[in-house]
Amino acid sequence: MKRRYTIIVFTENNFGLLNRITIIFSRRRINIESLTVSETERKGISRFTIVIDYDETKIRKLIQQIRKIIGVLVVFENEDDQVFFGQIAYFKVITSSFEEREKVMEIAHRHQAKIAFSSDDYIVIEKSGKEEDISTTLHLLEPHGVVEYCKSGRIAIVKDQHRFSKYAKNMDPEGWYSDEEFHELQSNGRHSF
Amino acid sequence: MSIATENAQQLAVKGNKPKHEKTDKIVSGSEAVILSLIEEGVDTIFGYPGGAIMPIYDALFHYRHALNHILVRHEQGATHAAEGYAQMAGKPGVCFATSGPGATNLVTGIADAMLDSVPIVCITGQVPEKFLGTDAFQETDVMSLAMPITKWCYQIADADEIPYILAKAFYIARSGRPGPVLIDITKCAQFDSMTKPFRYEKRKQIKGYKPACKPREKDITKAVELLNQAKRPFLFVGHGVLLSKAENELLKFIEKTDIPVASTLLGLSAFPSDHPNYKGMLGMHGNYAPNKLTNKADVIIAVGMRFDDRVTGNLDTYAKQAKVIHIDIDHAEMGKNVIPTVAMIADAKEALQALIPAVNENKHESWHQEFKKLYDEEYEKVIEKDFTAHDELIKMGEVIRRLSEKTKGEAVVVADVGQHQMSAARYSKFRKTDSWLTSGGLGTMGYALPASFGAKMGAPDREVVAVIGDGCFQMTIQELGTIAQSGLPVKIIVLNNNYLGMVRQWQQLFFDTRYSFVELSNPDFITIAKGFGIKGHRCMHADDLDSSLDTLINSTEAYLLEISVEKEANVFPMMPSGMGVDDIRLD
Ligand SMILES: Cc1ncc(C[n+]2csc(CCOP(=O)(O)OP(=O)(O)O)c2C)c(N)n1
Repeated sequence: MKRRYTIIVFTENNFGLLNRITIIFSRRRINIESLTVSETERKGISRFTIVIDYDETKIRKLIQQIRKIIGVLVVFENEDDQVFFGQIAYFKVITSSFEEREKVMEIAHRHQAKIAFSSDDYIVIEKSGKEEDISTTLHLLEPHGVVEYCKSGRIAIVKDQHRFSKYAKNMDPEGWYSDEEFHELQSNGRHSF
Repeated sequence: MSIATENAQQLAVKGNKPKHEKTDKIVSGSEAVILSLIEEGVDTIFGYPGGAIMPIYDALFHYRHALNHILVRHEQGATHAAEGYAQMAGKPGVCFATSGPGATNLVTGIADAMLDSVPIVCITGQVPEKFLGTDAFQETDVMSLAMPITKWCYQIADADEIPYILAKAFYIARSGRPGPVLIDITKCAQFDSMTKPFRYEKRKQIKGYKPACKPREKDITKAVELLNQAKRPFLFVGHGVLLSKAENELLKFIEKTDIPVASTLLGLSAFPSDHPNYKGMLGMHGNYAPNKLTNKADVIIAVGMRFDDRVTGNLDTYAKQAKVIHIDIDHAEMGKNVIPTVAMIADAKEALQALIPAVNENKHESWHQEFKKLYDEEYEKVIEKDFTAHDELIKMGEVIRRLSEKTKGEAVVVADVGQHQMSAARYSKFRKTDSWLTSGGLGTMGYALPASFGAKMGAPDREVVAVIGDGCFQMTIQELGTIAQSGLPVKIIVLNNNYLGMVRQWQQLFFDTRYSFVELSNPDFITIAKGFGIKGHRCMHADDLDSSLDTLINSTEAYLLEISVEKEANVFPMMPSGMGVDDIRLD
């Protein structure tokens, strides 16, 4: 059965790694729903957040393949209940009259969106949150003339405090797993042998 | 002195550590490449020059006393030769190629090395950095080509990076599950001087890469428990046993537990074929008993193998009754095809060393009897017939049997891909380890000729015999030139059936004998060899076989023996594709 997975990958910040990682997906004909990459608070280390819908019997193999890539430091696969996650969207709405403008701002206010930019004839509204919240806001704004809309990929933070911090030392310049930690990592989650 | 004798002499002094002066000079990127290779203990390079790698070739010229370079005839040949070399020498094989077409010609061999876990380090020249991405002359995006087929690849555009990256390349290629690495170096990085003195440090650890770990106590305990209780245990040997040099441990383990042993195609020669516990080869054209009894075993212990689909056939009907102990160094193989009861992520040698003292001594006589019964059936229906000439027409099986007898099972057999490969795998008797090279995972036609001279360079003291089909031979036939020029005494047997035999067999069995483009009208191979300066003989009749093989083996130089074999013979047993191990057919 297919489920939604948020895969979080920490890697060295080298060119080519994005390619290496996405090949793992394209080769298996997996469509990536969203992909966000940025440098972390540690210099030289990047964080990938990849969202896919995938078969629960195959996810472990996929994660193992990603772990094998040289330059990949840690990989976690998460279901939606294991992470805090969200996206950010911008809407550019043309406001031809004062009343229109009021209405649009009122919608934004009601939906915890904020006015990111405002000019004489349009407003840019910024909305962050879950995908459903963003699309609800979009639907409400659409009748008012959304002329440009864009949405980021998902970003996510792992809920379980230990799951992440335990392996974070691997990101230290000389740090690397012990055999035990390695085994534990290989068999973590619900797919252990 | 001819080039051939000069090379042969170089070969003779091989083993002496190449001499060069340690340097802490500022050197160019190209010289840094060469010095790094020497520091890494490289003594042989297979390659082909061209514009974008000329600075490196120029640096090589100054170090030609320290590094033996073999000029192949096509870059694919360089990769296969490097594979053969790596497997026999036990260290990474090295290839050079220029950018663009040179690099793309490497691709097949790199993919081959990836699937068969062979450590090779390929160094390609690249256009100057300012031309990258402009479709410049001989520019290809070799990094993107290499990514899916290498264990690691990297592009260097800064001369200072060279020693560090090459040390990393060699470490990655040879450690853990070995594999191919490609390093692409821009022409400017080759020409430029390093900004600091050359220093080289071999790598022992890399962040983000854990090549091996010790087996877990709890896995050992669980495995021992399963093995001690097993009534019908069965051990599968894979390439990993050879890679980790665990042959002695394997033998000890088997002598203590009396478990029957079968090998994958790439595991051949890891366990002596004349040992009473050896039951033959697994897989599509493997032996009858080991395939059939896979589905009767209660405990399967798989060592350094990956349950390839040619071994398992249909996974839905594969070994469902068995508890599986899977030992492999690559964690990603665990549960990939077969879900193990015990997943032991470890080097095969370490895992066996841990198991040997812990398992009980045992005997499994009646279980061995079951193998014997099925072997007898295979012998009567297949093996005996494969050894008997019919109408004077020579059988592939008979050639291999005699070759094996004459070389006392001590030669290195390098097989290409097709019916002759399966015959060689089935009928070669191995008494020494590391005696079998073939393209298993990719099934690359054209592998054997270049791999055989690579193997000879990696193990000059061993007899190397290439067994090649007439189709495969013509894929890399130009490498006869390399063999001749290097003066390497490689023995070549071409089994000529004037067909792409394996494909013809499938067309006969599964496509109602519609022989669609599989017939070959072949050139005169002996004359071709002669043109290259290699002696040869064509054997057409069964009564000439014996003396032809003697001449081949006794030759002190390279020699080509072409043997006309029965045209439409088939290789059995056979597990039709999509079917299970139980469906293996004897005819
Ligand atoms: C490069 C490549 N192309 C095609 C194939 C498919 N293929 C597998 S075996 C074979 C026939 C090999 O013929 P030959 O070398 O004459 O050997 P035989 O089977 O007759 O012993 C072919 C075409 C392959 N394995 N590799």
